[in-house]
This record gives sequence, C-alpha cells and structure tokens, in this order.
Amino acid sequence: MIAATAPVTARAALPANASHPGRHATMQDTPFLRFDGVTIRLGGREILSPTSFDVARGEFVCIVGPSGCGKTTLLRAASGLVTASAGEVRRNGVKMTEPSREVAFVFQDYGRALLPWRTVEGNVSLALEAAGVPAAQRAHRIADVLGKVGLAKHAHKFPVQLSGGMQQRAQIARCLAQKPELMMMDEPFGALDALTRQSLQDELARLVRDDGLTVLFVTHDLEEAIYLGDRVIALQANPGPGRPSLARMIDVKIPRPRNQLTTKEHPEYLQLRRELFAFIEQGHD
Amino acid sequence: MTDHRLLRWLRPWVFPAALVGVFEWYARRASALGSDALAPPSAAARAFVGAAMDGSLWQATGFTLGTAALGLLLGALLGIALGVVLGLSRRAAQLGSMSIEVLRPVPSVALIPLAMLGFGFGVRMELAIVAFATFWPLLVLVQSAVQQVEPRLLEVSRVLGLSARERAFKIVLPAIVPRLFVALRLGVAVALVVAVTVEIAANPNGMGYAMMIAQQSFDPALMLAWLGWIGVVGFAVNAVMLQLQRMVSRRMGVQP
Repeated sequence: MIAATAPVTARAALPANASHPGRHATMQDTPFLRFDGVTIRLGGREILSPTSFDVARGEFVCIVGPSGCGKTTLLRAASGLVTASAGEVRRNGVKMTEPSREVAFVFQDYGRALLPWRTVEGNVSLALEAAGVPAAQRAHRIADVLGKVGLAKHAHKFPVQLSGGMQQRAQIARCLAQKPELMMMDEPFGALDALTRQSLQDELARLVRDDGLTVLFVTHDLEEAIYLGDRVIALQANPGPGRPSLARMIDVKIPRPRNQLTTKEHPEYLQLRRELFAFIEQGHD
Repeated sequence: MTDHRLLRWLRPWVFPAALVGVFEWYARRASALGSDALAPPSAAARAFVGAAMDGSLWQATGFTLGTAALGLLLGALLGIALGVVLGLSRRAAQLGSMSIEVLRPVPSVALIPLAMLGFGFGVRMELAIVAFATFWPLLVLVQSAVQQVEPRLLEVSRVLGLSARERAFKIVLPAIVPRLFVALRLGVAVALVVAVTVEIAANPNGMGYAMMIAQQSFDPALMLAWLGWIGVVGFAVNAVMLQLQRMVSRRMGVQP
C-alpha cells in the first residue's frame, strides 16, 4: 500500500507532457487522476479492497489481473459509470461521479458499443453531436479521426460490413472525436486475433503519443500490458486481510517507440514478463 | 424456368379462386331457391363497380382510412412517448403499472357510449376510440422494446454525454425500430378493425356504415362488395407497411 500511494514523478519527462508545459505546471500539486481508497463490494463480498494510486498526465497505465479481480469495475468507477462502494476517484482534484466528455471509454464488445444503424461516419458523428459541435465542422473532424485510425476508406460502411479489428478502430475513432484527455480501455483487443491485435497495439501507442493522451488500459494479457504500459498495476482476486487487491505496481522503463520484435527481446521486457508471470502463477495456487 | 416462376406466383391464388367459385355456385343456387340473404360474387362485383362509379366507395373508404390513420397516429404518438419513458425509468414503470393493467383490458368498443356523449356522432368520436384502442398495444410493446435496448448503447450515450432528449431520439428510438414496426403493424390492424366496428355500431359514416346500410336495405350484393373491399383495403395497408419497413431497415444498415 505504501508503494501504491507514492506519487509517480517519473513521468514528468514524457514528451506528451512537454507539449503542454503550462497545463502541466498548474497541475503540479494535484495529481491528474487519483484513486483514493476505491473499494468495490458486490453482494456483501469485497471484490476490490481499498485501492489507492495516482496517475500522471500523459501516462499509459495498464491494469492486469485474473477475471473477477475487479479491474473492469475499477475502470468503470473511474469513469463514473458505476459508483464505488467506498473511496473516490478525483480527476484534476474533482470527484468523478458522472461520466464526462473529457473521459472516453472504449468497450471490449465493439459489436455492441457501435450503433448498428449508423455508418462508421455516423457513429463518430454521434460523439460530435453530443458535444454540440456545429454540423459544418463535423465532416472535417470525422475525416480527421478516421484518418488517424486508418478507416478513411470505410467511412460510409455500416459496422456489420467491417471486420472486428475495423469495428474496434471505429469505436476508438469515436472516442478520439470526443477529444478526451483521459481514455479508459476495457480489454479493447481481447476479442481480436493476434495479428490484428499487434497492429492495433502499435497504432494505439502512436495515437497516444501524438495526442498526449492519458490511458488506463485493462487487459488480462501480461505481455500486452508490459508492451503498451509505462506502468503495470497487477490486481489479485479474493482480497482479504493482509492480501490487498493491489498486488504489484511495476514501472516499465523500456524506451519508446516500441517494436513488436525488438521490444519483446529487450532484457527489461523479459525480466518484467518473468516477474509478472511468477506473480500470476502465485495467485493461482 | 419461367413456367416454374409462373406456377409459384399463381399458387397462392388457387385457394381463394376455388372458394369464390364454390361460393358463386352456392349463392346462385340459394337465390334460385328464393333466398334474399346471399348474393353471388359476380353480383357483388357489379355492385362494387356501381359504388366505385358513383363515388360512394371512395368517399367512405377515405373516411374510414383517414380516421383510422389519424386515430392511430394519435394513439401511437402517445403510446410511443409513454412507452419510452416507462421503458427507461423503472420508477415510472412501477408508478404506471397498476393504472395500465386496469385500463388496458377495457374493450375499446365499450367506450362508444362514453365517446358519443362526449363528442357526438362523427369523426371525433371515432378518432378517440381508435386512439384509445391503439394506444395500449403500442405502449406495452414499445415499453418492452425499450427495456430490451442493448444496455451497452445506453452506457455509450452516457459516456458521450448525450442529453436525455438526444438519448431518446438518437439511441433508443432507432434501436427499437424493428420492434416498433411490429407494434405499428398490429396497431394498423387494430385501428382498421375498431374504425369499422365503430361505424357499424354508431358512427353514420365510412365503410362500416355503408355496409350496414346495404344490409338493412336488403342489398346483399352491395354488402358483400363492401365486405370484400374492406378485406382488400386491410391487405393493401399491411402490404404498404411491410414495404415501408423494408425501406426503413435498408436505410438503417440491415443487410438483405
């Protein structure tokens, strides 16, 4: 717990932060995102024991853990979709009680999160309509985000006409159109095949770097977490006395941009992978 | 190949044609024996042409269809609006459930006396009853359709920050369109049945009244002509609704 509450300052040198020096300076004292004793109880059982940690602006934090450890609920609580049983999440010092447009949420089941009756373009447009962007500016912004995720040629297709990877790109495009400062991703690539997943991981890393986004990324895939994250938070199921949910917090100091081949041969990557695997093994005894 | 297709096109007509043939034979025999109650279809067809020529057919059809459509519009708008509210809010559903279950089983034609007192004879009385009759099925079906809208989509609308109005018009209503069409087709059928019933029972206008007059003036041919015509109108209205449904679902991205 002591390690968990320690403020994270290692991110200050991130290029994303450098692009917003003024904004960052004013936020120096209040952390960008603070989890303060967030607890989740379901049916009288504690799923997530009080968990506290800070996330700095521009940081890419991956949350791993076995199913049922409360990682998705933690994410939903952080975005205001559910209310935590105890504790609070503060963004820029303000308590998150309701979803906000500055926080985008990428759902795992892209097939259900897209409006089947709207084209890709229409789905992205929904975010702009919600934000009250005048109709005249929408086309330009839609083309912009669709270009970023590589869907420019598919703007007029309906979701059912797209592959799973493209549907997830469409959902990410819709989230980017919100111009969020924080992006919550709940196992976004979990349902995709390995090759699609790799290319989407690289595209996401590039997008996040270009836009200076802060990302909370839930996954059950340790390698994905290490590959994408600046920091990996490992949760364990069945918390109890002497066994907090937040089991491990690991800084990933592998240089960026990362590469599917060379990064995964990097000694640091191999060592972290070994460490986390050992932890997961332990959790399953 | 073309023979095959012709056969397939003809097949549904075989039974009705046979039925009309048998009826023609039977009615001719009955009238030969001196019955005034039945007329052969050929006589009904002549009466139909007569009604079409003197314009009474179109006037009465227009009245019934127009009133049924307006009543359905009224009942459907109210039913959809309330159904969406009750479907989205569990509290509202609990608040309304008792009143709905008490009022819904009231047979719509049982309102004829009340409506006559309130509105007198004419369009308004029929409109009110049609609206009442179509309101309930629309309300119940829309409410259950809204309750079955993908919860993920409602979460998406929350995360994107859509207002309640935008949520209703951009997420909920489009999501229930397929079920809404089923409800509307049911509503159309109900509207037509109720409109004709009201005309037979009380309102001196429209197709139902024309049929009653034909019956009361011992003109079975004309009465049968109206009966057949009402069936044809119902069939056509349903076909139009199906076509509309196909058109809308194609525009909403449903793959053929």
